[in-house]
Amino acid sequence: MTDYNDRIEEMLEKVQKAPRYTGGEMNAQVKSWEEAPLHFAFCFPDTYEIGMSHLGMKILTGIINDQDWSLAERCFMPWIDMMELMKENQVPLFSLESRRPLKEFDVVGFTLMYEMSYSNVLAMLEMGGIPIMRDERGEEDPIVVAGGGCASNPEPMSPFIDAFMIGAGEEVILEVNRVILDRKTQGLSREECLKRLAHLHGVYVPAFYRAEYNEDGTLKSFEPVSPEFPARIEKRYVYDFDHTYFPTKFPVPYTDVVFDRITLEIMRGCTRGCRFCQAGMLYRPVRERSLETLVKQAEDLVASTGYEEISLSSLSSGDYSCLPELIRELMRRMKDKRVSISLPSLRIDSVLKESLEETQQVKKSSLTFAPEAGTQRLRDVINKGVTEEDLIEKVRDAFEGGWSSVKLYFMDGLPTETEADLDGIADLARKVVAEYFHVPKEKRAKGLRVTVSASTFVPKPFTPFQWAAQDTIPVINQKQEHLREVLKIKGVNFNWHAPNLSFLEACFSRGDRRMGEVLKRAYERGCKLDGWNDQFKFDEWMQAFADCEIDPAFYANRERKKDELLPWDFIDCGITKEFLWREKEKSDRAEVTRDCRQGCNGCGIQRYKGLCSYAEGKGKQHADTGSI
Amino acid sequence: MRIQAVFEKNERVRHIGHLDIQRAVQRGLRRSGLPVGYSNGFNPHILVSFASALSTGACGQREIMDVTMAEEVSTEEFLLKMNQAMPPEMQLLEARQVDDRHPALTALLKAASYDLLIRDPELSRRLVPAIGPMMEQQTIMTLRKSKSGLKECDIKPMIYALQGKDQHLYATMALTERETCKPGMLLDALKKTAGIPEEENVRMLVVRTRLLGEDGEGRLVPLEKL
Ligand code: SF4
Repeated sequence: MTDYNDRIEEMLEKVQKAPRYTGGEMNAQVKSWEEAPLHFAFCFPDTYEIGMSHLGMKILTGIINDQDWSLAERCFMPWIDMMELMKENQVPLFSLESRRPLKEFDVVGFTLMYEMSYSNVLAMLEMGGIPIMRDERGEEDPIVVAGGGCASNPEPMSPFIDAFMIGAGEEVILEVNRVILDRKTQGLSREECLKRLAHLHGVYVPAFYRAEYNEDGTLKSFEPVSPEFPARIEKRYVYDFDHTYFPTKFPVPYTDVVFDRITLEIMRGCTRGCRFCQAGMLYRPVRERSLETLVKQAEDLVASTGYEEISLSSLSSGDYSCLPELIRELMRRMKDKRVSISLPSLRIDSVLKESLEETQQVKKSSLTFAPEAGTQRLRDVINKGVTEEDLIEKVRDAFEGGWSSVKLYFMDGLPTETEADLDGIADLARKVVAEYFHVPKEKRAKGLRVTVSASTFVPKPFTPFQWAAQDTIPVINQKQEHLREVLKIKGVNFNWHAPNLSFLEACFSRGDRRMGEVLKRAYERGCKLDGWNDQFKFDEWMQAFADCEIDPAFYANRERKKDELLPWDFIDCGITKEFLWREKEKSDRAEVTRDCRQGCNGCGIQRYKGLCSYAEGKGKQHADTGSI
Repeated sequence: MRIQAVFEKNERVRHIGHLDIQRAVQRGLRRSGLPVGYSNGFNPHILVSFASALSTGACGQREIMDVTMAEEVSTEEFLLKMNQAMPPEMQLLEARQVDDRHPALTALLKAASYDLLIRDPELSRRLVPAIGPMMEQQTIMTLRKSKSGLKECDIKPMIYALQGKDQHLYATMALTERETCKPGMLLDALKKTAGIPEEENVRMLVVRTRLLGEDGEGRLVPLEKL
């Protein structure tokens, strides 16, 4: 414990939810600071409850702590009350394990999961005693790295981050740490260390790249400052997903966190190719973990955590090729241990139904379906391979199986959306309600609840909609108003969100370096914890845009031309721009693209040998590709 | 068969509330692989109970849990497996087997001893000398927080022993379902006698050192010995 310990103890007596800051959980790894030469602060730019639910953090801290030459400690975004106390008492942001200020670490790593956590990165750096701007950091300061899904367009964060890891962090993190250890042991200068990092495969060091802009604000050129640096940054992949590192234990929080259970990542990637889904594009190709590996991981984790529940995680768990076998095997092994398995709700098919009834282990919580759009035409535009018949059949199964609560997820503001598509949402909801009343009264569960949620579409980089304009806020408001009208249906609840946050998300997701200026300005104006409704200060954000003389509509509401140089074009995420444009054109014609399991669509991943089993004809053939 | 075990809740986890401590113990029992008993019903839970809830912010040196086992287990094995399964912050110190007919912990609990550390030495120099005068009063009136609001009550009959030394107050006070004197109530009364204004925050680390019950002759003895 450090000199700040007394002050920290005093602050903890005053804050709400002190356990956010105290650590000491089962399996929390506290390594000796002196014995491990490299010190990594793993920062999650949101509160403890959210960060501790994140699987990536458990994987990466596990890998780092497994090396005898490195240790990882955790750090989360403090809540407002704690931030104020820290300021008042001059206590810098500290790690959970040894309570050391961030600036005492050699590496400070952030995981970027969603754009609305960016302001928290700035807050954490500043509170941790590290200059926010990377070009203001000196020889004494840590190297600040970042990875995660949002690093696929690193530009908005590039003024603040020294090095980005693009793609699978578990593949590159130790290489990065080695270089930073060299900085320490060989006395490399910061500059030299960054240079070495820039030569690592899958690492982007923004200091060595220059962006120039046209008069209309679009990107004119983006190049390395010297030919020694790669012009394109190719992301890293996990080739052998079945054998890649997965922790056998992870910290078990004392207090409630968002996902307080074991998460098994059963596969990575998705074959469906929904055109709005960035994860589906970025995490290609599909790689499954074998049943044996998963059962072993489940048993290890049940033994080491004591959790009562296992959930299966992936982008589309229903597509896992031996899902019924996996669930049956897990249930068989976990029965005596009284561990429940939460199922991907989308595959309660007849085969499973029997074994579920047999074991009675499933909680009849609400079932979730994501048709995303209200009409077949619009579902074809977004390549969401769901038909109304599919959906209704599954809903019927669910109601007959004793469920009475169904959630339906949609998006508003999708490209080409018209009023007919919005009305289609209400039609679907009505049909779902009707399905419930078709089940004889004595057979169905009481208390029908159909929840329709609509979120505002955010066009994302590396999707066929990366060129598309987002609807403006007034248009979204009108559409939501219309939905509220047409969804006044008995038994149906409608949830929606004000579009402000989605608008800002759209600015960042396709932002360039100048969005970093806006971020800095907004942070200076007091914006942080933007993902929390009660903290989100939209007006301050708009003022920040005005202060920087940057028009947010340029990022959110502008349709891009085919030949425009996009700020993220220098990142090679596997899928090619040509493929994305092809998909965009098909989408304009409401033409669907087949599931990869039915044949390769040439997305670009096929360039990598041994990566995509479907492209190489080794994929498991699967009869059912129509499920949601 | 049941096992009663003495465990500690140390300073690092003192802000964890009682419900979360219960869950941490349940998960520890699950990790231990010991043959614990489960309740019947749709949502079976582990049969474990605690002598007393320890407030958020307080440490416990000798808290007690009572676990119903599905099979006979030796105390050595119980301690060994549980201490591997519990975080360093919540280790078990001793255990004993008790008969199924042994009364519930809560029924036996009468009092608790505390070591109360006054963080500010200056304030402790004013509080400790106030012990004598306070104990000489006929009644020691103080406010007790209850569900229906603040209530005035006399804590004098609930204080069984009270001493002060340096920055510490050592107190033994009633802890039953009907009568409880919490460390905060004692501090309030002592502040009043010492002339420290109510609104002045006196930082105090509460360490509950023992849970006590009554033996056949009405003497207070450690609960785990009954
Ligand atoms: S390479 Fe072919 S099969 Fe593999 S993800 Fe891309 S399109 Fe699908």
